[in-house]
Amino acid sequence: MTATAAGAPAADETAVPTPSLARRTLAVFTRNKLALAGAVVLVALSAFCFLGPLFHPTDQVHTDLGQANLAPGSPGHPLGTTDLGYDMLGRLMTGGRTSLEVGLAAGLLATFIGTVYGSVAGYFGGWLDAAMMRITDAALAIPALFLLVVVAAIVTPSKPVLILIIASVAWLSPARLIRGEALALRSRDYIHAMRLMGGGGARAVFRHIVPNAIGTVVVNATFQIADAILYVAYLSFLGLSIPPPAADWGSMLSAGITYTQVGYWWLIFPPGIAIVLVVAAFNFIGDGLRDAFDVRLQKSGGNR
Amino acid sequence: MGLRSTRIRGPLAGLVAALVLGGTGLATGCGPRADRITDVGATGGTRVEGGTATMALPPAATPNWIFPIGAPGYLATYNSSIQSLLYLPLYQPEQKGDELSLDSPRNLAEQPRYSDGNKTVTVTLKQGYRWSDGKPVTTRDVEFWFDLIKHNKAEWGGYSPKLLPDNVKRFQTLDDRTFRLRLDRAYNPAWFTANQLLYFTPLPRHAWNPDDEDPKKVFARLTQHAKKLSAFATDPLWKTVNGPWKIRQWATSGQVALEPNTRYSGPDRPHLDRVVFKPFTTADSEFNVLRSGGVDYGYIPPSVMAQSKKFQEMGYRVDPWEGWAITYLVLNFNHPTAGPLLRQTYLRQALQLLIDQRAISKVIWHGSADPTRGPVPASLLAKDPYPYDPAAAKRLLAAHGWKARDGGTLRCVRPGTGGDACGKGIEEGQPLKLSLLSQSGSTESSNQMQEIKSSYDKAGITLDVRQQPLNTVLGTTVPCERTEPLCKAWQLGFFGTAGSWYFPPDPSGEQLFATGAPSNMGNWSDPRTDELIKDTEYSGDPAAMRRYGEYVARKVPVLWTPNPAYQVSVIRNDLRGVDQNPTLSLAPQDWYFVKKGAGRK
Repeated sequence: MTATAAGAPAADETAVPTPSLARRTLAVFTRNKLALAGAVVLVALSAFCFLGPLFHPTDQVHTDLGQANLAPGSPGHPLGTTDLGYDMLGRLMTGGRTSLEVGLAAGLLATFIGTVYGSVAGYFGGWLDAAMMRITDAALAIPALFLLVVVAAIVTPSKPVLILIIASVAWLSPARLIRGEALALRSRDYIHAMRLMGGGGARAVFRHIVPNAIGTVVVNATFQIADAILYVAYLSFLGLSIPPPAADWGSMLSAGITYTQVGYWWLIFPPGIAIVLVVAAFNFIGDGLRDAFDVRLQKSGGNR
Repeated sequence: MGLRSTRIRGPLAGLVAALVLGGTGLATGCGPRADRITDVGATGGTRVEGGTATMALPPAATPNWIFPIGAPGYLATYNSSIQSLLYLPLYQPEQKGDELSLDSPRNLAEQPRYSDGNKTVTVTLKQGYRWSDGKPVTTRDVEFWFDLIKHNKAEWGGYSPKLLPDNVKRFQTLDDRTFRLRLDRAYNPAWFTANQLLYFTPLPRHAWNPDDEDPKKVFARLTQHAKKLSAFATDPLWKTVNGPWKIRQWATSGQVALEPNTRYSGPDRPHLDRVVFKPFTTADSEFNVLRSGGVDYGYIPPSVMAQSKKFQEMGYRVDPWEGWAITYLVLNFNHPTAGPLLRQTYLRQALQLLIDQRAISKVIWHGSADPTRGPVPASLLAKDPYPYDPAAAKRLLAAHGWKARDGGTLRCVRPGTGGDACGKGIEEGQPLKLSLLSQSGSTESSNQMQEIKSSYDKAGITLDVRQQPLNTVLGTTVPCERTEPLCKAWQLGFFGTAGSWYFPPDPSGEQLFATGAPSNMGNWSDPRTDELIKDTEYSGDPAAMRRYGEYVARKVPVLWTPNPAYQVSVIRNDLRGVDQNPTLSLAPQDWYFVKKGAGRK
């Protein structure tokens, strides 16, 4: 499609309909091989975590000490078992669900909060902007991991709590980013026109500022999700995850590290590789989307 | 002793001892290579006099108290272990078979003599013991110690009301080597010797109180000196010792070096030139140093037990250090909702039957733990009254009116107090649901709780496990009244990663299971238990301890769980004479290196 658009003879230009924004975006995205690979990996991992248990059902609630620490390839346990006898392949699926669910929800929530916060600050400006941004600066000055550890130590983590904890520190970056976008957008003519027609601040923010910054928001969301998945892993690694028997990739990695000296590699590599894959996939997708939302690249057919 | 020392030691997760061996006269302090001797053995070999040995301390442990009367907050085991190498107590426990004996050749005194219906005890000091300045050790030195604790008991960390010094009405000095204690009542001689006389430690009165100052004044002065950590090695006060060792270095970083007291007059003169206690900030840093051969007597996490062969090939032996201890889950009998459940004997028995101590010891603790059988060390009880039997537990619960609907949590269907009913205080439809506050930071403890939760879940009992740092658990699981808000904060508690309770040599239960006892965290109260404890404390009946142990084991006032080793020690093969005393005391004067190449396979 892109090839046609780029290589069509000038005489036929009037006959070829201009592709829609979505199609142009998709065209640029699919030209980015890494982004495409990221999407494929993400779909594969999601299918593995959410559909996998249908094909490889295991008990991830009750321990079985008689089956503890079996090596990969043991009958019924292709990836071996954990130190409590949980099937490793099944646990990787169950753990992945938690990591993906919490990471996705926390990343989206942080993006939503940050977008609204940044848009309001940027659009209204003045003292409100100054006050809101100083709050953001102050919060950014505190190391996120420190805040996460403190909060997670005070409350008993569950999935919703973990989502809130991570989102509560992750919204700061998108807030600053979107505030910059809002500052640029608020002086556009269509915003002035809307205000002359009697439009209020809420309308300006939600109908004009946010939709026009959607490219930035979407790209940032992918990075936020990747970061949130890493935050889940950090917290779990520090023993501040959802209580057992629930698991996530971070807590699995943490449990596996105990056996580094013993050589139980199957407790360490699978969750470690899964974390790397999913974070890399989201980052590649984010890169691809950034290119895809770039108007210049859309016009040039994706060729930079 | 007891929980107090356990609690201090608990977060430190295991004492590490590492001996840096140095050949005689070696300025570097490095010893022979660990791989020179590959046979495994604690004793034997051709002894080589001299050498420097370094013993690693527990992670984040810093010895910070030298005064043998420990102030509150300074009672850590590593402090008292080092103190007793400088200032000899009258009696020292020694393992003989499965039991601890106080009849040790190391003792500074002859065996005590009881008279007047066990209301009077007479102690005679052994002949020939001298301070390092040449003055003899006399009963005045013992009296000096006693006066200090008597007049400053609030400042003594080891004080418990009604025990020392309250239970001694009069201290009589008969001569330079003999003193007599008039007690406030008759006591079981075995108990009094093991749990009271054990504290008696002669102190150099002539050096520390030459002007016969008031005990309060002199105690304050000594305490002031004891707080100057940087001056421990140089302060003349601490140079007068009667133990086999004296201080060479005491760094504020926690490193302590001892050298032989050349005027020591006891039977166990040191063989080494120096012993160094080395601090580590974390267990990982110690493990890395151990693997690089930098320590001779270290420790490894239980999870590495499977690799013990690797250490043997490197020239070490792996030897779990088993403590004189028991480990358990505390039950809060005063909790508003869980209390009525936990007060049912059949229910506690069912909960106990569902804990597979053997499998947990073998798989989760990798063989470095042993099942706890009751309120005394396992070796003193003939059998486990409630071995793992989930079918029996289910039968017991069903027989008392507990039934699951749709395979979920058991609920009471026969409320009441009859023999086949759920029991007093339990309402119809009440779910069998409990929560456990467990210490975090240990893979083994965390896995143990997961296993117990899983086992309970299979039987229809819901157990919510919440993990918190040790200090939070210790601050929450305290004795409480039913009306106190704190009592609602916990139902079951676990703080036993390094053992829940370390006993003094006589494993009596007056501090643990007696009504209102200071460490009776779950508020257990049972007249028969109190009676049996009093028998162990006051009567001279040698069977009293067995009766107490067997009865309380059956009553399950806490849930018995595997008792982990104090640490999984890794010791260089050429370092011999290391006796890992269950009371966690140290005797580096017995350690020695064997000739290079001796005993090589």
